[in-house]
Amino acid sequence: MHIFSMKRDTKKKSIEKIDNAPLLYLSLSQHIGKPAEPVVAIGEQVKKYQIIAQGAGVMSANIHAPVSGIIQSIGKHPQAEGSMTDMIVLANDFRYEELVLPSDDVAGLTPEQIIALIKDAGIVGEGGAQFPTHIKYTLQGHKIDTFIINGTECEPYLTADYILMKEYTSQLFEGITIVNKILNASRIVLSIEEQNKDLLDVFRPFLAKTEYNHIQVKVLPNQYPQGGELQLIKSVTGKVLPRGVLPRDEGIIVSNAGTVYAVYKAVAERKPLTERIVTISGEESKRIGNLEVAIGTPISHILQSQGLSGIPDEDIVVLGGPMMGKNVVDTSAPVTKGSSGVLLFRKKEIKRNNCISCGYCVDVCPMHLMPMKFEENYRKEKYSQLEKYSLSLCIECAACEYICPSDVPLIESIKKGKQKQREINN
Amino acid sequence: MPTETINKPQPLYTPFVRARDSVWEIMSDVLLALVPCAAMSYFAYGEAPFLVMFVAVISAVLAEFVFAAFFLNKKDTLKDGSAIVTAILLSFTLAPFTPWYVVAFGAAMAVIFGKILWGGLGRNILNPALVGREFMTVFFPAIMTSGSIWYNKDYLNFKELSVFNIFGDSGLITYLNSLFFKSSGAIGEYSVIFLVLGGVYLLLRRRISWHIPFALLVTFFILLQVFAYKDIRFSVGGLLLGTIFMATDMPSSASTKNGKLYYGAMIGLVAILCLLNDVRHEYMSYSILLVNAFVVPINWAFKPVTWGKKANIKSLIKWVTLITAGIVAATYALIYLHHVDCVRYLVFAYIIFLICRFCFMTMKDIEYPKSN
Repeated sequence: MHIFSMKRDTKKKSIEKIDNAPLLYLSLSQHIGKPAEPVVAIGEQVKKYQIIAQGAGVMSANIHAPVSGIIQSIGKHPQAEGSMTDMIVLANDFRYEELVLPSDDVAGLTPEQIIALIKDAGIVGEGGAQFPTHIKYTLQGHKIDTFIINGTECEPYLTADYILMKEYTSQLFEGITIVNKILNASRIVLSIEEQNKDLLDVFRPFLAKTEYNHIQVKVLPNQYPQGGELQLIKSVTGKVLPRGVLPRDEGIIVSNAGTVYAVYKAVAERKPLTERIVTISGEESKRIGNLEVAIGTPISHILQSQGLSGIPDEDIVVLGGPMMGKNVVDTSAPVTKGSSGVLLFRKKEIKRNNCISCGYCVDVCPMHLMPMKFEENYRKEKYSQLEKYSLSLCIECAACEYICPSDVPLIESIKKGKQKQREINN
Repeated sequence: MPTETINKPQPLYTPFVRARDSVWEIMSDVLLALVPCAAMSYFAYGEAPFLVMFVAVISAVLAEFVFAAFFLNKKDTLKDGSAIVTAILLSFTLAPFTPWYVVAFGAAMAVIFGKILWGGLGRNILNPALVGREFMTVFFPAIMTSGSIWYNKDYLNFKELSVFNIFGDSGLITYLNSLFFKSSGAIGEYSVIFLVLGGVYLLLRRRISWHIPFALLVTFFILLQVFAYKDIRFSVGGLLLGTIFMATDMPSSASTKNGKLYYGAMIGLVAILCLLNDVRHEYMSYSILLVNAFVVPINWAFKPVTWGKKANIKSLIKWVTLITAGIVAATYALIYLHHVDCVRYLVFAYIIFLICRFCFMTMKDIEYPKSN
């Protein structure tokens, strides 16, 4: 599906930093899997980059202090969409005392050592899924043929990955080399979208170097959802992987460009993941750009940097992209490792109409489902029918509702339908 | 604490941006595609066809407003423009001198029994315009079958237009002239060229997909060749009007690509079966309405093959066999009813069915989908 872009203005904006917030909220659940366990006590003084929570169990990841300060509290705090989860509240002392980081030679590191550094740094996939990266790179004997660096940022407005690839290019390429020490992939593909083709000029001098000339840049059409893992694998390798199969088992690893950059920082500079780039945009945004912010920064602080004391009555705030992001109902909620944007849109009354069976949703569904059937069966409370139309395969990309001329509540039916399925299965 | 959770605003669901499109835009595209054909009817019979269209629109709009408010408790349904489209499409299938009260009756029935009693736009399984037409045939049989409503010498503006004669005068030119304009047939059938142009516009605007017209016409003309030894007569205009504007009606047609191909092919098959069995005038509306009734199983049988899965050919063959058998059997039953002059009982049964169905409907079946 073609979707409008709206990236033009923020593409021109260099990465900026804003002053850090006085209070940072570090969620213990910034990854799939169990919440991390705090390793600091309330009242304790911590330094920047110090570990404050340790990954618990396999699919978990460490959390580090993005600034120096005092642990104020540990407890429930709202996430963007309003649900409560455990977070460490860190009071910034604005002294920026950093942990003394050990430096070491990158060249001499073994794959195991690199994975250990990635694990220590608490890196998770920055594309949104927040899958712990050290688990992804643990190959368990599988041979990797293709390593794909995902630079296809297919959601409108977002330019966080674009600007990272443009301004942190050398770090990105160095990161690719580091990751491939683990993966040993024969084919390395950096994918970008047609609309960001200007990056080719940025990449050219790097690709000319002998250490990078085996990296292939692939320009993919402006399609939504091109950046979805399964869709991207198909575009690059031609393989159609069923949902639920680990790409690794098929010899493919996909990592977001931001994740690869984080690996560079973790391995070459020994810095844990405490910052990320967030696009500030949207039709109602007073200021647009690409900010490098501390993870844990409350959304209210980012709004303040635009001169807003809260969400204006006539606006809505979205954390992430406009297609798959979260509607922010509590601005004290923080930016997490997977947040790629803070967007402001005008609040619109959506007039829902009956489905007229135009079939547009069927045409655009990347998983080849019939989204209209989810709404119909959910409305009629025929929950057992939902799986007959493969509801569980839905990746909730929202292309169906984007294109729907009747504004049928498809995503709501899909999410509530999945909830019903869970209730029935339990 | 509990009060706090109650007062908390609920997050909105994704997406937060939408394509600029609406049902009204779809309907206005259809209307736009119909305008040239409507204009051509002036060359044939002047104001008469416009009177039919005007009465149909007024009647459909009134019926929509009153009955949607009364039965569905909705006062905003006129905004989607579907009543106007239904009315114009219905009048396109009618004779230019159909009495105004018959037209008004048909348009109202098209809206009420074609759409509202199903639960409103999108919930109907049959094409509303064709439902209205069948009601007219059943309740005003003498008028609808009389020859006088089709032709009136006093009103005839042009018998033919020789627009292509600047390129010479040959058999081909005469044929092209007749494709551009001929003064016989129903209101929408005077210009084959403008019907096709309307179809092309809808294709470009993606309001119809090529699958249904393609499959329908290919099936129709292949079967026509197969049965070439029989003298099958049909109107190209009527066939194209049905193919482009009726068979592709969104709510009543199949929704998936392969489903659309099969659906179109079945309409072509049923139309030929009707023509072979001496159903002279009603073959297009019969075939479309009949296959409309099978759209639910067609959509099920032709579900797209989901990502990463293999097509279940066995199940597909099973379903296609069953549905095809059902369609052919229903076709012969309908042809039989037609010849013993009993189609009206089918319409009576439809009326009773729809009223009973409506009585058992709950508000949930009627109101618009809700959202927080």
